[in-house]
Amino acid sequence: MGGSGGCVSGRKRDVWLKRKSEKGCMSERSRYFEGSLKYISVKDKEEEMDYQGLMDMAALAGEIMLNSGAEVYRVEDTVSRILGKSGMERIDVFALATGLFATISDPGVGAFTVIKRVDRHATNLNRIYSVNNVSRKFCQGEMTVSQAQAELLQIAAEREYGFLYKCVGYVMTTGFFAILFGGSFLDCLSAGVVGLVLALVAGAAGRLRFNDFCQNAAGSFALAMAALLLKDVFQAMNLDAVIISAIMPMVPGVTFTSAIRDTLNGDYSSGVAKMAEAVVVALAVAFGVGAAMMAFRTMGGNV
Amino acid sequence: MMESELWIQTAGAFFAILGFSFILDVPRPFLLYTGLSGAVGWLAYLLTQRGGHEVIMAAFMSSLAVSLFSHAIARRLKAPVTVFLVSGILPAVPGASIYRSVSCLIQGARTLSSFYLMETLQVAGAMALAIFIVDSLFRLAQKPGPEGIRKEETDSSVHG
Repeated sequence: MGGSGGCVSGRKRDVWLKRKSEKGCMSERSRYFEGSLKYISVKDKEEEMDYQGLMDMAALAGEIMLNSGAEVYRVEDTVSRILGKSGMERIDVFALATGLFATISDPGVGAFTVIKRVDRHATNLNRIYSVNNVSRKFCQGEMTVSQAQAELLQIAAEREYGFLYKCVGYVMTTGFFAILFGGSFLDCLSAGVVGLVLALVAGAAGRLRFNDFCQNAAGSFALAMAALLLKDVFQAMNLDAVIISAIMPMVPGVTFTSAIRDTLNGDYSSGVAKMAEAVVVALAVAFGVGAAMMAFRTMGGNV
Repeated sequence: MMESELWIQTAGAFFAILGFSFILDVPRPFLLYTGLSGAVGWLAYLLTQRGGHEVIMAAFMSSLAVSLFSHAIARRLKAPVTVFLVSGILPAVPGASIYRSVSCLIQGARTLSSFYLMETLQVAGAMALAIFIVDSLFRLAQKPGPEGIRKEETDSSVHG
């Protein structure tokens, strides 16, 4: 403790205060009067009170990142940086594709642990970006724990684009992907229409809180049905190109690639989990399209 | 492939990824850059294919181009690399072959199914490898020594 005050009485008071605070009966008022002299020990006390808050905030940041589809190493990195502000001796963060564990411990203080079960949702890059900003500001000391917590809760609640934007997004993606798959102008138009059907079904399925498998299966069933009906009207349409461009927004290519990235990074468990996720999604999409073709055939259409 | 078709396809990739950015909730200020990232990736893909290489090589070169672009632009804009990477690699991603593989499996065409599965694995592996190489290179360039780590870590684009 730095009793740097030049006068003797200050030093005496310091010792007295120290003794009193050891007994645990130092009043707020005497702390206040002591000002900078006692500041260090008071600050220690305050931080000690806040470990739990810091843990909660870090876990929330990790949770938002994980269910927005961030890579595991990125989540571990961010959470351990936030927890690093605690100054504890040991910081362990372990993230899986579906869960997050973190412990901070110090011989003098004890240990704090938090475990979060995380559900994976659709990729949301805006949230990853915003959480990254908050964590950077926090680590640079521009933000307190409670400010960061409030900001994170706001990030978790807000949406960057409304339903209309999503529809435009689906139509653009499917329509222009038809060009990449070598489709004609007609194919692009029909893929756009099919994409709109997909957007509507995906929106409805999201509102009904379907699980992932059902949501993808329902979406791909609807889009394949729409494509088959369009094919019935416009014989010149390339059915294969239209269906494949229309399933592009759902198909788990990015998940599959990031599964392999995780594996190369040494995060084997989340690599395997993501690979399984990719297979489930691909199965759902193929199942939906297959069911639509079968239904169409039963109704008397020719595929 | 004709010269004009090359540019039409590249423009198509730009708009397709622009649309996909809405689905991925890309932050508004970065919309143009994610579209560009997609266009860069697809251009590299087409040029490699034009050079007479296989799909796997094309996917590798495409991801290499996209990762380099993403790392450069992420540093400049102080955003996570993922934002540009995830959107940019989409055109080359083996979505169609993973779908075809499962679809053939459902229809009972086992040989065709395993062919597409193999293709999926190879393409995804090549892409992941390309991304991994660029990641590692940029990580090497970042940490000059143990002294610098703390300071470097708070650098915006690396962070998080």
